[in-house]
Amino acid sequence: MMGKGEAPAPREPEEEEEDTGGVVKLISAEGFEFVVDKKAAMVSNTLRNMLTSPGGFSETRQGEVRFPEISTHVLEKICQYFYWSLHYSSGKETTEFPIEPEITLELMMAANYLDT
Amino acid sequence: MYIRVKRNKSTYFIQCEPTETTLSIKQKLHLLIDQPPSNQQLVLLANNDVLEDSKTLADQKVENDSVVALALRKDDDDFEEVFIARPEDFMSSS
Repeated sequence: MMGKGEAPAPREPEEEEEDTGGVVKLISAEGFEFVVDKKAAMVSNTLRNMLTSPGGFSETRQGEVRFPEISTHVLEKICQYFYWSLHYSSGKETTEFPIEPEITLELMMAANYLDT
Repeated sequence: MYIRVKRNKSTYFIQCEPTETTLSIKQKLHLLIDQPPSNQQLVLLANNDVLEDSKTLADQKVENDSVVALALRKDDDDFEEVFIARPEDFMSSS
């Protein structure tokens, strides 16, 4: 399932995705960078598709994904959620995930886009 | 657990354990930023303490989701001032 925009232009298949050390860089609207483990990013189905589709996205090869529509605060929250979610799904005891009311709407729109 | 290491406009999410030492975190950062541990200084933002290489995170009150500032060594051998950019200063005009 694909979000809007970002049509996956067919490219000649690359041997293997470039080794970016198992991390991926997510870039917010204001140009802030968040470096997270791929494992964490793949909590998002949209990112999972981008990162695993064979030969697919240029983002995959550079290990960078830009989100011109997601603000820094929201993107950071999303990254925190990725890690929270990993921890939670590992079955360990977890605290509730805190969300500030001010960013709820924007966060939900981003979560919808990222299929998270 | 994880910590957030910040410098300027970058944030590195680092997975770690409370029993790990500061040096171990610096080694993980080395893989991401191409700067050896000796050129890194980590400061816990909550209390402005400079983290010591040999101590563990738990010893220095670094907890899950803590924010740690990264400063790199400058040419004159001192560490740069801690600087973390704020998104408010970069609001896109779109």
